[in-house]
Amino acid sequence: MTQFFQQLDNGIVLGATYALIALGYTMVYGIIQLINFAHGDIFMLGAFGGLWIFNRLPTSLQNNHVVALPICLVVGIIWSVVIAVAMERFAYRPLRHAPRLAPLITAIGVSAMIEEGTRLKYPGAKAPLEFPALLPGGGFSIGGVTISWAQVTVVVVAVALMIALQGFVQKSRTGRAMRATAQDPDTAQLMGVDTNRVIVVTFVLGAALAAVAGVLQGARLGSVKFDDGFVAGLKAFTAAVLGGIGNITGCVAGGFILGIVEVMAIQYLPNGSGYKDLWAFVVLILVLVFKPTGLFGEQVVERA
Amino acid sequence: MSTIDAAGELHQHRTLRSYLASGRAAVRRTATPYRLPVLAAGIVLTAVSSLLPWAKAGVSFTTDLAGDLSAAGLGGHRLYLLLLALFSLIGFTKVNGVRRALLALAVGALVICGYMFYELASGGGGLGAVAIGPWLGVIGSLLLLVAADTTLESPRLVWPPLPTIGDLALIVVAVGGLLALLVIGLDIQAESQFLSYSIAVGAAIAAAASLGANVALRAAFDRYRLFGYFVCLAAAIAFPFTQHGNATWMAVFARVGVFAAAAIGLNVVVGLAGLLDLGYIAFFGIGGYVAALLSDAVFTTVHVHVPFLLVIPLGAMAAGLIGVAFGAPTLRLRGDYLAIVTLGFGEIFRIVAINYTGLTRGPNGIAGIPDIRLPAWLGGFNFGAPHTLFGVLLPFQSNYYFLDIVLIAAVMLIFARLNDSRIGRGWIAIREDELAARAMGINTVALKLLAFGIGATLAGAAGTINVHIGEAIEPNAYQFFASALLLSAVVLGGMGTVTGAVLGAALLIGLPEKLRSFQEWRLFIFGLALVLLMRFRPEGLIASRRRKLEFHDPLEDPAGSLGTGLEEPA
Repeated sequence: MTQFFQQLDNGIVLGATYALIALGYTMVYGIIQLINFAHGDIFMLGAFGGLWIFNRLPTSLQNNHVVALPICLVVGIIWSVVIAVAMERFAYRPLRHAPRLAPLITAIGVSAMIEEGTRLKYPGAKAPLEFPALLPGGGFSIGGVTISWAQVTVVVVAVALMIALQGFVQKSRTGRAMRATAQDPDTAQLMGVDTNRVIVVTFVLGAALAAVAGVLQGARLGSVKFDDGFVAGLKAFTAAVLGGIGNITGCVAGGFILGIVEVMAIQYLPNGSGYKDLWAFVVLILVLVFKPTGLFGEQVVERA
Repeated sequence: MSTIDAAGELHQHRTLRSYLASGRAAVRRTATPYRLPVLAAGIVLTAVSSLLPWAKAGVSFTTDLAGDLSAAGLGGHRLYLLLLALFSLIGFTKVNGVRRALLALAVGALVICGYMFYELASGGGGLGAVAIGPWLGVIGSLLLLVAADTTLESPRLVWPPLPTIGDLALIVVAVGGLLALLVIGLDIQAESQFLSYSIAVGAAIAAAASLGANVALRAAFDRYRLFGYFVCLAAAIAFPFTQHGNATWMAVFARVGVFAAAAIGLNVVVGLAGLLDLGYIAFFGIGGYVAALLSDAVFTTVHVHVPFLLVIPLGAMAAGLIGVAFGAPTLRLRGDYLAIVTLGFGEIFRIVAINYTGLTRGPNGIAGIPDIRLPAWLGGFNFGAPHTLFGVLLPFQSNYYFLDIVLIAAVMLIFARLNDSRIGRGWIAIREDELAARAMGINTVALKLLAFGIGATLAGAAGTINVHIGEAIEPNAYQFFASALLLSAVVLGGMGTVTGAVLGAALLIGLPEKLRSFQEWRLFIFGLALVLLMRFRPEGLIASRRRKLEFHDPLEDPAGSLGTGLEEPA
């Protein structure tokens, strides 16, 4: 039983990362019905941005994790946001009224460019690069279940950001504009909403959350790799679909569920670790086949 | 861009783009009265520059620039530049479409000059290594560009209807010419020279297209379709005979052929039915594993040998059945969901292949797959042995190349028959608007499933041949990237056309083999190409007419609806 709770703990931490990335998918999809295939790579870019600034910090700051972590987070966020905004402006915006296949194919191209650009910038990135362990060390134990402070940090930061996001979307003026655009962009525009701005804001928020997830994940696991974003992105997308795409609360729940499912499958199924990346896809297919609206999604009206 | 300020004044914001536009307008205004002198000067300067030395004597270069560029004379890069300059003489005529033709030639010349400039300066010690030639060349091609820009806009040249013999000759000349261009290009050893060659060929083809050559060719093809296919087939068969027993390119083209066949299969799914399948490579892999397991390979886990003529249908069927089984529940999903689910399926296939070691030997894969041997009643032909035909030695890879041609021909036939049928029209209806198609009484789920199944079957068949060419199979060759590569072959060539898929596969598999120093950048360029393509020419290089209309609504975009003449009938 101890083992079960230990894995539950691990699953929640993994799920927090998935949920943070998934928010970007779900918000962008909710507003422009685009599966932003390159979002996983934005997550990876966040980690690389954090690593980049860390290597340029003076040694005294490098050793002071309480200062270094926020700096890495901020630079990671800036880097991810810049690329995400550029991607929206130059790759997606010109295709806003193109047939649906076109932006999706563009997204694949953007994803390849980001991954390869990172690999070319860091010729050593074919192998994982070492990421500093910025999260607090040590931990505590409840009834035999070890919980590290690093895990606590990840979950606390993630949950705080999700609550903040939910507040922003529900309470702020821009959040209201986002919801209006999601419901009907044309009408929203007629009502005076600058939809282009709303879309940019959506990309910015998604990228920032993904960057935080990237830095935290890098700091927790101790390494980053240029193609980290691919599988993480797919899993986060699964989480978004699981919760009902376009639905922020559902998306967070989906992230946690997926994280727990994955960890449990590794623990309790035969050859679990070999098939570790398989379960997300199995879940994805099952959800889409049996409940395409997701666990918490409402009926989405098909929009031409 | 303009805004109105608080006082109600209208302000025009000057952007970089507007500065460029006004600069161009100024140049055009100044140069228009002197159009012919400018053109003449451009041609003369460019031509002269191609005869002058391009590099200072005694400078050694890090890149292989092919030939001694420090001597006056003609060769390699400079020959291509001279040809482009001579083609530009067309600018003195007043035929329709001359503006676009001249523009293409001028851009080609400018790109060659610029590229050579870059290679000379970066590979041999800065601008000091550059002789007089490149400077004149850049000036000359810039003048050509100005001359092109001052030429009046005119509609595309329409050729008068040709007599039968003219049509047939046009087909033969065009197909033979392309084959010759290909053979010449493959013979060029130095990579930089090959790049200049490709630029020149691209510019020349673009110029010919603006002069209506491709429309005339298309018309000829439409009238004498059978003859056209026959000529293409003859050219494809002739290709191995041009290689003088050299196996390098036959090995590449054997792979190109397999991928082209798979790309046509994917084109049924993506181009005709509009279902974005991002896990298509899995079906290719399923066919491959079936063939590998039934071939009694050295490292097999199942010791059976099934004759290859049986393996093709078995592999195709296995892939098709799995495709249908997977598609049946998932094809009800909307387009972009389907894309992700198929991507998931592709990954599931790979992960299972890695972990199900009892059958697949996991990441080690199955190696030592023997060559195909036809049964005795078919002459016992051994695909692993070279053959001599008409006194030309054909390396064993050409056997697979010929097998590819048979496969592609079969796949093309299936594609064409489906496209022209009730089923094909149903697919197009689904692609355009699924709801409307269903309302019109089309059984959308069944038709989508059919497209998916046919695509999977074709991929499976191609996969069986592929593993015999590679002589081994391992799961990591079937990553998402491979699916994306096939998809880009379809998109690049043109969704919904057969020629497009073949061209796309040839470009994406063949070009990287020739441009080895770009190996590192290959995937990046590939991503960039996808983005640019979707932005500027979403219908692909060879577009189906219907597809083109879809991407460029003639009501919204009257300029785009004129067409480039590279369309294939839908």
